[in-house]
Amino acid sequence: MYLGIDAGASATKALIVDRKGKVVSYAIVPSGINFKVSSQKALEKVLKSSGLSLKEICYAVSTGYGRALVKAEAHSSEIICVSRGIHKLLPSVRTIIDVGGQDSKAIRINEHGRVLNFAMNDKCAAGTGRFLEVMSNLIGKPINELSRLHHKSSKPIRISSTCTVFAESEVISHISQGSKIEDVIAGLHQAIAGRIFNMSSRIGFEKDVAFTGGVAKNEGFVAALSKKTGLTPLLPEEPQTVCALGAALAAIRKYEESISHAHL
Amino acid sequence: MSLPRKRSRILQTTRKIGELIMTYFSKVSDAKSKGKPVAWVTVFTPVELLYALDIYPVAPEHFGALCSARGFIVDYLEEAERCGYSESLCSYSRCSLGYVLSGMNGIMPPPDILITFRNSCDVYVKWWQSLHMHLGTPLFVGETPYVLAPEDLDNYVLDYVVKQLEQLIEMAEERFGLRFDMEKLVEVLKLSDKASELWFETLKLRRFRPCPLGGRDSASDIFPLVVMQGTEEAVSFYEELLREVKGRVGREEGVIEDEKFRLLFDGIWIWHAFDLIKYFEDKGAVFVYEPYSEAWAYRLDASEPLESIARKILSMGLNVDIDIRIERFLENIKEYQIDGAVLFSNRSCKTWSATQLVTADILNKKVNVPYLLFEADMADPRQYSEAQIKNRIDAFIEVLSES
Repeated sequence: MYLGIDAGASATKALIVDRKGKVVSYAIVPSGINFKVSSQKALEKVLKSSGLSLKEICYAVSTGYGRALVKAEAHSSEIICVSRGIHKLLPSVRTIIDVGGQDSKAIRINEHGRVLNFAMNDKCAAGTGRFLEVMSNLIGKPINELSRLHHKSSKPIRISSTCTVFAESEVISHISQGSKIEDVIAGLHQAIAGRIFNMSSRIGFEKDVAFTGGVAKNEGFVAALSKKTGLTPLLPEEPQTVCALGAALAAIRKYEESISHAHL
Repeated sequence: MSLPRKRSRILQTTRKIGELIMTYFSKVSDAKSKGKPVAWVTVFTPVELLYALDIYPVAPEHFGALCSARGFIVDYLEEAERCGYSESLCSYSRCSLGYVLSGMNGIMPPPDILITFRNSCDVYVKWWQSLHMHLGTPLFVGETPYVLAPEDLDNYVLDYVVKQLEQLIEMAEERFGLRFDMEKLVEVLKLSDKASELWFETLKLRRFRPCPLGGRDSASDIFPLVVMQGTEEAVSFYEELLREVKGRVGREEGVIEDEKFRLLFDGIWIWHAFDLIKYFEDKGAVFVYEPYSEAWAYRLDASEPLESIARKILSMGLNVDIDIRIERFLENIKEYQIDGAVLFSNRSCKTWSATQLVTADILNKKVNVPYLLFEADMADPRQYSEAQIKNRIDAFIEVLSES
């Protein structure tokens, strides 16, 4: 069995695949402030749910922001892992838009899942999951409620600030002026979709296009980004673990390489 | 498991730069104490002319880079910000303004004249006016029209700049009671030309595999071309450098042991995060070409002194039409066998960064060279996110390994 751990800014994902790359089990836990702790928790959880023991894991690859802090045989960047993961799940995909806790990325891949080009957000958090987390705290609605409320909106507000902190005060002023919460939420989704659209346009949108990352679980955001890009995206069943899957697939490859080296 | 760290070597000659800079600043301070005028200039101002007039130039931009690299720029930046200069202004400008506003207690002696030519950025004029406002020092602003075609270097545009050089000479003579000496200028020009010739020759040797001179070298080694153009010291520095680099080429010795990727760096270096260059080198990637390194040298013709100087300040990379720049860029990608390009989008330098999306597009479509574009600030360490940038570099290196 092979393990991929994606220690992301917001959540840590652990995923186990078998020798053929089939997903056996996965677990998602909040990252908190200590990747060592969160990766250990995710590992315990995924082992428990799969009924496997640590000894049965031949090789582990870590990815994500905390990858260097996670116990694994090797690590790899998210760009490569997301690409490998999506290629396994949806081989027709040529463009990936991945929105995570701290980063958003657009990646172009070829028919073999190899990365051709990528663009990432600058160091500002607007246009990432963090932006939505900040806003959900502000308006007092849990993050998984945002999607449901988005669809109730009839007149999304327009957020003009590109800065998370300024957008926060903009939201406060909209709410105090009587805007409906669902219109604020839809407006926020549109704002982040707009930023991601601008960034992704740099590398273009060759079809098929897939959305991945934790934020792709938010249907309201997916709807806003689909509208903005004019695309019908492919969505993996579990968008949040695509990167961990890519890491687990890398673990298979690296294990096989290490075996063949050992025989040389 | 991280990649094994590779040994990477800085040239012996590069190691002498720190001392050369310190000697240079103390020489200017000495001159100042003996009553010689000191000029604060923007880079790509004709320092040759100043040497011929016995005026000592220092460049606040260079000072900003120095303060950033040595880790004490933030105090100056904050001083400028406290006095009302916006954080989104160029960090070099904030550094020198903060230096002025906090009493100029550093290695850069106060100016007797402020000189700028509007050839590489829009901020220069307002920046120099602000310095003038705080210091009350005489100010000279030269205008350099944008070069749209090579002919501009020989027509009325050239005459216009030559006239301004004459005005500058006149102003200096009047203000400081100096006598301009054409023969001295010719001597200075010959030295400046020699230094440029040597630097160009050295840079060309980077076409060899493995590359003998890396980014940490080229970033440091430009210093004598910035403010010491036309001095004997600059010429001997570049002679020594060329000798050492030729030696490396002869021994087939590279910056790193196992050269995997040859990279282009577009932009000003990130002075406070200089180790990033080493980070690339540890991953088997070496910088072999930068438009920035090339920008400092220019061949001068001593038989037409003022015209030649005027052409030099007009030809400064950012003062030239983008099509001409792109052509040069594409040629060099081939010549230096570039595998990938790193485009540093600099918050401070909009003039440089504004064209990078066009460059990226061309790299992508015309020559199929992968690129990495990231944002930070050349001198302000507060506008830099190390983890995020290293994350992008890791991904970029993996992309290069795949192609």
